[in-house]
Amino acid sequence: MTTLAKRGLAITAVGLLALAAVYVLALAYTPIERAQGLPQKIFYIHVPAAWCALLSFSLVGIASILYLWLRDPRLDLFAESAANVGLAFSLVMLTTGPLWGKPVWGTWWTWDARLTFTLFLFFLFVGYRALRSAVQDPGERARFSAVLGIFGLLLVPFVHLTVYLFRTLHPQPIVLKPSAPSLPGEMLRALLASLGAYTILMAGLLMTRYALARDEREERDAG
Amino acid sequence: MPVDANGGGGYMVAAYVVTAVILGGYALMLWRKAKRIASSE
Repeated sequence: MTTLAKRGLAITAVGLLALAAVYVLALAYTPIERAQGLPQKIFYIHVPAAWCALLSFSLVGIASILYLWLRDPRLDLFAESAANVGLAFSLVMLTTGPLWGKPVWGTWWTWDARLTFTLFLFFLFVGYRALRSAVQDPGERARFSAVLGIFGLLLVPFVHLTVYLFRTLHPQPIVLKPSAPSLPGEMLRALLASLGAYTILMAGLLMTRYALARDEREERDAG
Repeated sequence: MPVDANGGGGYMVAAYVVTAVILGGYALMLWRKAKRIASSE
């Protein structure tokens, strides 16, 4: 196992421990919101999952642009790894969202702009994975998937802005917005702690996934 | 549609469990893959 994979696994372990601490903080030390009750606490794990998913998909796009420019296969491998990690966080986002929506909105899902475009982004990266499995030639695979990755990157800011551009049930941003965050101190601290824990975990998973993909490719090339 | 403060606890628990399963499961999968690659070296 390479040093990068070992470091990635170590950071992943730290991220998981930090996430466990966030669970304790969110469940035991944040107040119960008056209007939404306990389901509001889903917010502490849903918002950071969305942040990590969009960050990962942005990294796919950036690595894809760099790949098309520099033609370095490591960038293609990094983009693939970021897409996989982004899909894991998307899955968290797309399951915790409806689990909050059902008790608060009264429905699991609604086809409004934010939810629909988020689902579209998820399926775009499912398609990205399918494309990579379908194309056998490494050069073609990297080129085609880079184009799809860049398209995903273009969608990311659009997904974030859908709550401003369209009438939507989804709440507007309460932290990433032009004015100051509109959240009580205890809730904001728990959210920021969760964002930190998720980001560490994302970095660890991405590092490990990339290192393992690189090791596997080297093993394949040697064999 | 606001819910009362005692309602919806099951949804919250389900969300936290699902998150742990997905992220913990993915980390575990990578760890097992790393072990497999290390043992084949």
